[in-house]
Amino acid sequence: MQSNLKLDRTFHALADGTRRSMIQTLARGPARSAGELGLRFRSAQPTISKHLKVLEEAGLIERSVEGRVHRFRLRPQPLKDAGTWIARHQSFWEGAMAQLDKLLEEDGSP
Amino acid sequence: VIDGSTVEIRRSFRATPERVFAAFANPELVARWLTPSPDIRVTVLRFEFLEGGAYRLAYHLPDGTTSVIGGTYRTIVPPSKIVFSWVIEPPDEHAGIDSEVTVSIARSREATELVIRHERLKRRDAMERHGAGWQGALVALNALLETRAG
Repeated sequence: MQSNLKLDRTFHALADGTRRSMIQTLARGPARSAGELGLRFRSAQPTISKHLKVLEEAGLIERSVEGRVHRFRLRPQPLKDAGTWIARHQSFWEGAMAQLDKLLEEDGSP
Repeated sequence: VIDGSTVEIRRSFRATPERVFAAFANPELVARWLTPSPDIRVTVLRFEFLEGGAYRLAYHLPDGTTSVIGGTYRTIVPPSKIVFSWVIEPPDEHAGIDSEVTVSIARSREATELVIRHERLKRRDAMERHGAGWQGALVALNALLETRAG
């Protein structure tokens, strides 16, 4: 159940285009200030703050505070978790199709 | 094929639609093939092949652990369509995640085409209506992996 909730948060966070671009930006450079991200995405600071909060709550980024400067860093684990569900089921069914093919061959007549 | 929140697998078999359908409908047959690998043995714990009926399958992994998957049949239309829910039981990293499998079986020339769609069900309260989640996750993951590799 816990991982279900975590995945839901990840998907919610990734359902927005601005947030996806923010993640990709953070994937290239580890820590940027909220101000710098705002400049990059040409959005108002409150909007950027809101997006950062959603990403933070999903555990996709972590914040460190140095004086008045907030820096952000990407946390790869939730993205990996989201990817593993798809990859796991993809390989399950691909494997199962090979077994089904064998079964239908073995059991003869079409 | 991966698109959005869905895994989709398409295969052609030299068998009638009825035989392909039977592979899903008959528990003895299910135990012989519904596994990702011959190393992973399947035991059918429960099998009520009717709309609203439940199934539970135990997967015995080579390392000695067992993983259980279960759900209920939502739609059964012989020999062309089966829809069932799919939930992995605890303890598993993906336990409790609601997903749904749609099996479509259609005759095409001499063969039978089987399409498996496995989609992760989004909880409306937690998700935005726009369903770009999975695609976004994969795009972001690729970007991340490229960065780490480089």
